Amino acid sequence: MNEFESHFLIWLNGLSGNVKLFDDFMRIVASDYLMPLMFSMALLALWFIGKTPAQRFEYQLATIMGASALGLSNVAVWLFNITITRDRPFVDYGDQLNLLFYPPTDPSFPANPVAVGFAASMAIWKVNRMFGWSAFGLSVLFGFSRLYAGVFYPTDVIGGALVGIAVYGFTTYLRRFLEPLVGSFVRFMRGLGAA
Amino acid sequence: MTFDPMTARALMESHYLVFAFLASLGTMQIAVSISGIKGLWLTPNRLLTRSLGIALLATSIVIFFAQPLWVEGPWAEGSVEADSATRLWGTASLDELAAARNVNDIHGGMAGTNQAIWFPIGAALAFTVSGLVGSVTAKATGSKRSTSDDDAVGLEALKSRNYFKVLPSSWRSFRSEIAVYWRIRLAGSDGFSIFRILFGRNSG
Repeated sequence: MNEFESHFLIWLNGLSGNVKLFDDFMRIVASDYLMPLMFSMALLALWFIGKTPAQRFEYQLATIMGASALGLSNVAVWLFNITITRDRPFVDYGDQLNLLFYPPTDPSFPANPVAVGFAASMAIWKVNRMFGWSAFGLSVLFGFSRLYAGVFYPTDVIGGALVGIAVYGFTTYLRRFLEPLVGSFVRFMRGLGAA
Repeated sequence: MTFDPMTARALMESHYLVFAFLASLGTMQIAVSISGIKGLWLTPNRLLTRSLGIALLATSIVIFFAQPLWVEGPWAEGSVEADSATRLWGTASLDELAAARNVNDIHGGMAGTNQAIWFPIGAALAFTVSGLVGSVTAKATGSKRSTSDDDAVGLEALKSRNYFKVLPSSWRSFRSEIAVYWRIRLAGSDGFSIFRILFGRNSG
């Protein structure tokens, strides 16, 4: 598996350098700012997009769950990182890769950006399928861009997606320990005219 | 590197705040135009509000990623390579623009935790601007409201009233209802709720 995914990564990254416009697009997608902000925007939109009070309340709870899952997935990835130390592809195959992104110093597995994206997407998908699929699409694109840039192995990306989904599940489970705080927070925001 | 990473980070943070603010404002306008929350519209027209939202969102992305062309930062022409350790201070070239923002957080980029601090500030600013401009717009256009909306609070009330009229009634409603809500929800909450454990099962 390791050999196969290394070959796949080298092949995929080898496609870079041919079409500058596509490489530049991937550099922007892979950046630390665009996609994370898009996930935040998707959750922000979810907060305001409900048409009835009941739907809005459901969406706002989903926003809180998504934001919490997004934060917790960072913790989960950190826990993996202190347990499993997998070198980045450019450490193992530096001479065969055309690095399009700065070389991160943290371990490769699991892919943190993908975990974050999938955690947020799960929260959105749970309440609005179409919107959720779009968010998953962005997460996949984010993961692909980091693969193309040569900073993750395919299994890091798959692992990140699974971590994100699992963390979302854990976050919804965790909510039972925090009730009625979550609902009260939405009420508080409503008191400020913001929910 | 010929610059202090802290200086680069401060610059990134200021740019990111503008990015988050404009993108949040745009997203908010798109969302409230869909849900019909007129009190937060920047224009009196639904289609115009939505179009403005899309334009703001697109503009925020363009500005953020094009800024290195005219603002000096850790992306000087000729120094933008994949490894951000080699960066010099200056303006970027069009050729290297796409990679200009890709700076490792140890070299002055923004870590996720840092973004998690600045994003809510940008979003809160966007909500404030929407509330303020929405109130002015509603006043200028003299939008009417139906009496059936009098009991509504929060965003539901903003469908027909402006923010400054909604805020006092929403806050009053919150203050009068929160204790009852808390007790009822606590009584009905899961046995594993830490609040139920702390305050006891009979607190409802």
